[in-house]
Parts: sequence; C-alpha cells; structure tokens
Amino acid sequence: MLRLPPKRNQNSSFTRSARRWIKLAAGLFALSQVTGCDVPIDAFEDNRIFAKRLELTDSVELELVRSDVDSILIELFGTPDQPLWPEFLQSNEQTSSLVSIDRLQRAAGAVRSDEEDVHYGLYREHCILCHGIAGNGLGATSRLLNPYPRDFRLGKFKFKSTPIGSRPTRDDLRSLLRHGIAGTSMPSFARLPEDDIEALIDYVIYLTIRGEVERGLLMRATYELDLDAGERLTDSDQPESADVALNQADVKSNTINHHTIELVSAVARKWLMAKAHVLSVPAPPDDLPIYGSEPTTGAARERLAESIAHGRELFQGKVANCASCHGPLGAGDGTVTDYDDWTKDWTTQAGLDPLDKQQLRPMLKLGALKPRHILPRNLQLGVYRGGSRPEDLYTRIALGIDGTPMPAIPMQPTNPLGLTESDVWDLVNFLLSLPEQTDGESNQ
Amino acid sequence: MSELTYSRAVHALAVLLTIAVFPLIWVGGLVTTYDAGMAVPDWPGTYGWNMFAYPASTWLFGPFDLLVEHSHRLLGTLAGFLSIGLVIAAFRCDDRRWFRWWCVGVLLAVIAQGALGGARVVLDQRTFAMIHGCTGPLFFAIATATAVMSSRWWLRSQSMVGATRGVAWLATLLAATSYCQLILGAQLRHVTAAVSHTSFMAFVHTHLTLAGLVTLLTLCLVGLALASRVCEPRIRRPAGLLLLVVVLQIGLGIGTWIVNYALPWSETTSSLAGYTIAAKGFWESLIVTAHMATGSLIISLACVVALRAWHTIPARHVNE
Ligand code: HEC
Ligand code: HEC
Repeated sequence: MLRLPPKRNQNSSFTRSARRWIKLAAGLFALSQVTGCDVPIDAFEDNRIFAKRLELTDSVELELVRSDVDSILIELFGTPDQPLWPEFLQSNEQTSSLVSIDRLQRAAGAVRSDEEDVHYGLYREHCILCHGIAGNGLGATSRLLNPYPRDFRLGKFKFKSTPIGSRPTRDDLRSLLRHGIAGTSMPSFARLPEDDIEALIDYVIYLTIRGEVERGLLMRATYELDLDAGERLTDSDQPESADVALNQADVKSNTINHHTIELVSAVARKWLMAKAHVLSVPAPPDDLPIYGSEPTTGAARERLAESIAHGRELFQGKVANCASCHGPLGAGDGTVTDYDDWTKDWTTQAGLDPLDKQQLRPMLKLGALKPRHILPRNLQLGVYRGGSRPEDLYTRIALGIDGTPMPAIPMQPTNPLGLTESDVWDLVNFLLSLPEQTDGESNQ
Repeated sequence: MSELTYSRAVHALAVLLTIAVFPLIWVGGLVTTYDAGMAVPDWPGTYGWNMFAYPASTWLFGPFDLLVEHSHRLLGTLAGFLSIGLVIAAFRCDDRRWFRWWCVGVLLAVIAQGALGGARVVLDQRTFAMIHGCTGPLFFAIATATAVMSSRWWLRSQSMVGATRGVAWLATLLAATSYCQLILGAQLRHVTAAVSHTSFMAFVHTHLTLAGLVTLLTLCLVGLALASRVCEPRIRRPAGLLLLVVVLQIGLGIGTWIVNYALPWSETTSSLAGYTIAAKGFWESLIVTAHMATGSLIISLACVVALRAWHTIPARHVNE
C-alpha cells in the first residue's frame, strides 16, 4: 500500500465517488443542523440602530428607504463574498490608490488557503468574531469583551497620528495591526505575512467607508428628502458641478445618483487627506533627557528631575487639567461617569439616557451592547494602548484620543494660554516616571 | 467462571492505539487553531499525490499549515493500521465473542472518523470539522476502553468486588457530562459570524456552568472512592488523577479565554493590563490545543473509572 506510484490525479475518480457518498451523508447531517456550521454570509447587516436613532429624534419612517439603501450599497460595495469598489473611485487618479480591489478580494469571502500557504478570507479568519461582518463591532464575542470591539462605521479611530476628527493613515493602521492594543482584546497580528496585513488594512478602510456612506444615506433620507412626498435616494438628478458630471458619465446606473456619488467621494476624500494632517513630533529640547535614557551627568539628572516635577505641575494644573479625569497621581480615579462616542451615538444622541434600561430597550433589541462608562486610564500601570515610546505619548497628549473624552491639549501658538512643545515633553517625562514613582510611594 | 486467557498482543495493540490517538487529538486541535483544515484541499490525496508518496521535503519543510494537516492525516492512518492489527489479533487470540466484534466496531469507528475528516476537506464544510472534532475524543475513549477491557486485570477481576454502585454511576455521569462539555467547547471554538453575541454569551455561560458541574462530580467521585472501603486502587488511582487533570483543565480554560479574548477587567491586575494577544502565537495555540486535548483526557479517564467500577460492583447490587 505504501508503494503506490506517486501518480497525479490517481485519486480523482475515487475522490469523486467518495464525494457523492459524503454528500449523501451531508444531507443527513444537515437535518440535524448544528449551530457552528458555515452559514454563507450573503449580506452585510443594516445599520438598524442608527436608523432607529434617526426615527426617534426626527420621527421619520426610514423603513421606506431601507431597500433603496441596501441596493445602493450593494451596487457600490458588493457583498461580503464579492466586494466591489465604486468605479468612479477606481477611475479617479487620487482615490484609486485608497483601496485595491485585489487586496479587497483577498481579505473578503470565506476562509481558505492554498499550497503556498496564502490565506484568503482574512477578515473572516481573523477579525469577524469581534468586529462583525459589517465592521459594526457587534461580533459574536463582542458582548463579553471590555472595551467593546470597534464599530468602524463611525469613521472614528482612537490611536493614530492625526488629530481628532481625521481618519488614520495606512501607517497608523499597519502599526495597530502589528502591535495590537495592549490590555484589550485587540490582538497583535505581527505573525501574519505583510501582504495579509495590507489586505486587512484595505478591508478596514472599505468597511469604514461603506459604513460611513450608509450613515450618510440614512441622514440624507432623514434631513434632505421628503419621504412622504415620494422622494427617494435613488431618484435621478442633475449634477451641479462639472467635476461630478464627469464622474456621473462613468456610472450607468439607475440607483446611484450624483448625490450618492458626492457622498461617497466626500467620505473617501477624508481618508486621502489624513496624510496631510499627520502630527510630526518635534524632538525634545537638546538639553532634556527623556526618562528611561539613563542621564549620565549630574546636571542632566537634575534637569530630568525638574522636567518631571514640572510635568507633574502641568498634569495637576488648570491648563492641561489631566488630573480632573486621571486623578492627581494618574490612578484613573477622576471623572469616571462619561461614555465614549460609539456609545453616545445611539444613546444620548438619540435622546436616550444610557442608565435607563427601559429607554434603551428598543436599541438593545437591535443588538446594541449595554453602555459602559469609559474610564480614564490608570497611568500608574505604564500600559499605553497607543504605543509606549516617548513619541507615542507625545502624540497622545498633543492629539488626544478620538471618540473618547480624552482631549487634545491646548497648544501654543494656536492657543496663547496653551502648552509649549517642551511642556508636553515634561508631561511625557512625568508619565514615564509615574509607574516607578507610585511604586515607591506605595512601598513607603 | 472459567479463567479467560489474556492476550498480550491484543492488549499491546489496544494500548498502542490509545497512545497513538492522543497526539492525533493534539495535532487535530492544531489543525483548527491554524485554520489549516483546508491547507490540503483534496482528500484522500494530497495535492493530487498519493498521501504516502507526497514528498516529505514539501510538507516537512513546507508551510506550517501543510505540516500540521499532513501529519494529522498520516497519524490518522497509523491509527487505522493499528485497528486492523487489533481486529486480527482479537479474532486469533481473544476468546470473548463480544470483544472480537467490539474490535471490529473500533475499526469501523476509525474508518468513519477518517471519512468525516475527508468530508470536512472535500466539502469544505466547517460543520464537518466540528463533528469530526467531536467524534475524535469519542474514539479516544473507545480506544481507552479497549485497552482497559483487554488488560490482565480485567480478565482476572471477573468476580471480585472493587467498587460501589455509587462510584460506578458517578463516573458514568461524569463521562457523559464532560462529553457534553467538550461538545459545547467545540461549538465555542467553531463559532461563526452567524452566531449573535447573545447566543455566544449563552454558550459561554453554559460552558462555565458545566465546568462547575464536572468539578463537583469529580470531587464527589474522588470522595466516594476514597471513603468506600471496598474500592480498588485500580479505581482510586485514576479517580485521583482525574481530579488533578480537572484542576489543570480549569487553569487551561481560563488561559484559553485570556489568549483569545483577554480578561474584561484587565486593569485590576497590573500584570495582565499590559498583555497583548498574539494572533496565531505559539504559546497561545498550545494553550488552546491543550485545553481541548485535556478535555478528551478527562472523558477517557472517567470512562476508565466507570468501566472498572461497573466491572467490579458486587453482583447482588446489580440485581437489586
Ligand atoms: C478578540 C477580539 C478582536 C479581534 C479578533 C480583532 N479585534 Fe480589532 N479591536 C478589538 C477591540 C476590543 C478593539 C477596541 C480597543 C479599544 O477601544 O481600545 C479593537 C479595535 C480595532 C481597531 C480600532 C483601533 C483604533 O485606533 O481605534 C481596528 C482598526 C481594528 N480593531 C481592526 C481589527 C482587524 C483588522 C482585525 C483582524 C485582523 C481585528 N481588529 C481583530 C478586538 C478585536
Ligand atoms: C476629560 C477627561 C480626560 C482628560 C482631561 C485627560 N484624559 Fe487622558 N484619558 C482619558 C480617557 C477616558 C482615557 C482612556 C481612553 C481609552 O481607553 O480609549 C485616557 C487615556 C490616557 C492615556 C493612555 C493613552 C494610551 O495610549 O493608552 C494617557 C497617556 C493619558 N490619557 C494622558 C493624559 C494626559 C497627560 C492628560 C493631560 C494633558 C490627560 N490624559 C487628560 C480621559 C482624559
């Protein structure tokens, strides 16, 4: 038996008949369906929670546009198995670089791999259990995680090199996927081949843009259309500007009108602009040692001690006011009753009290996760989710954390009362020294 | 009752089979961990080659996926050959008719298990992956049972009293409960995007409840085995081992959660606050696979205790 000649295709007829028998058995098993099976995923979930919010605040009947939104999104972005990237973004010179359809297709679809160990269906293999099919952060495991997985559809990301309100750059997402987020369930994917990571980045951008467009369509239906008078998102309309007219010529569709094209282009442009907003971290002043770099001379040691002391003053002072949230020594015991933007999006913004279970019920029924407070970090642990190099901390302080209460610090010269770059470095030194200092204090 | 003849060949083959199946379960677990189930897209061939002729240089030094999946297949075949040997040996050397047919059953079970594994590949269906994963431990238990029932002790203890009905029932219940627990674990592992977060949470809570139940049953079993004066060391020892393994399993279970999802209250423990999950990390996969394999071990150990206990409870108790 061991000596059969290694002929190719030798087993094909056997395999074929085996397949027939096995299919029969499969039919039998299908009768006793088990939950873990591979259900084909033929659609992205609708953003019902956001639609509900608009219905609550503006008493519209968005059920009327639901199928329109679906067909527009399918025409623009395809399905989880067959992703599309809008033609007019591909043909536009600037936006064509944003997402590559090849990478998108590698990341989408069912999990599979070939003899060269190239994996396909990467999003489903690595991310879907937490972030969900549509990137809504409502995956199977989401409810048991703290913090909850990110809902991409708001277009907000926490840890990036761009200011609040901007999209992250590809580099930001790459570094995020490489390093993961310490102390949360977001894993590091450093072990994946580079190509996989690139494909996943494209897919995150794709899901985010798709989600933003979906929200945009719902908002347009709410605020700009007279639904009762029969106006719809798919109504054809006259382009207003020549630029859009050009794009419109490429799109031969009854569902996509120029409003939609404009919406998609505006969303895509935000991603293109991210690069222009990157904060370049200034080098620390020449004579300032950074904590952890072992100053050698006595003068340098003194300078560092001063810097830390000044950092502490700023931390507790009126301008930076870090202590109001993080507590005077950064233990995270300041303001602890706030919510992040992903939670506010469907609670306070929908006029619902996050603490009132009764009010929240319709949203929870649609799959929303029970609101949790966002806690200011305990900085004495020395764990930084957005990276722990001094530059990372500088960025965090200077830019804040998008989607959370953590603000960007007021800086000179934009704000005459704000901090200088050297002040921020002092804060960095203070933060870096905190774990050790507080260790000492608790031992005393 | 006449003394039955002990066959060293049959027992040795049964023990070997048991020993061969355990690593098979580990490697099978790795197949899932690395999502390598489809690393070889055809079956029973390997990329059009006959499985045994598939050049070692390709799979041994090829991608890890391929190594894992291919060695799983080769180990599976080893189990098949051992079972064939077992049937032959049983028909030649074992006097017990029922045992001979039991061995035929073992062989059929191997074949069925292989076919299920093949179905998983040919149809590329994760449902089969899960069923295949759930019947694997069952086969391990069957192999263990074969080893127990072919042992010298088994043949000699026909009329001895070594256990109580309580021990026998508890061990049986434990085997059944831990098997349910294993199936639940497989459900958690093969969870797909189609499962809502509400059902996933329900699965997790049930898994935790059953874990409590298994622990409780094990404690009762050990307590009872130690307390009863008739209990044989042959029953006490595996029962004690069972307790150790269950404790280990709880640790591995917590570990499995942490390396997959991290703790939801990481800031309370400073050592975990800085932990970052490494997707496809080596230790991560090892812990998850160990959790699964230890689950099989618990089932098999419970079967050992149950079989030995039912075998040696006093006959009058049975008739009561
Ligand atoms: C085990 C659960 C889990 C898995 C698997 C997972 N994530 Fe996450 N992810 C999270 C959590 C939790 C957060 C939120 C962390 C936070 O808010 O600090 C997050 C956040 C993110 C963010 C936002 C980061 C930011 O700066 O705001 C991105 C982007 C992301 N994940 C992408 C991915 C991708 C891509 C994958 C698959 C390759 C993936 N995640 C797999 C749990 C997960
Ligand atoms: C309005 C409340 C608030 C203020 C004021 C505030 N923070 Fe925060 N900070 C937060 C919250 C909330 C988080 C946690 C965000 C998260 O978990 O996503 C945080 C997180 C952090 C982190 C962790 C970043 C990381 O990468 O993990 C650092 C460092 C930090 N803050 C420093 C500061 C400093 C320095 C100041 C003063 C300049 C400050 N914060 C002011 C609320 C605040």
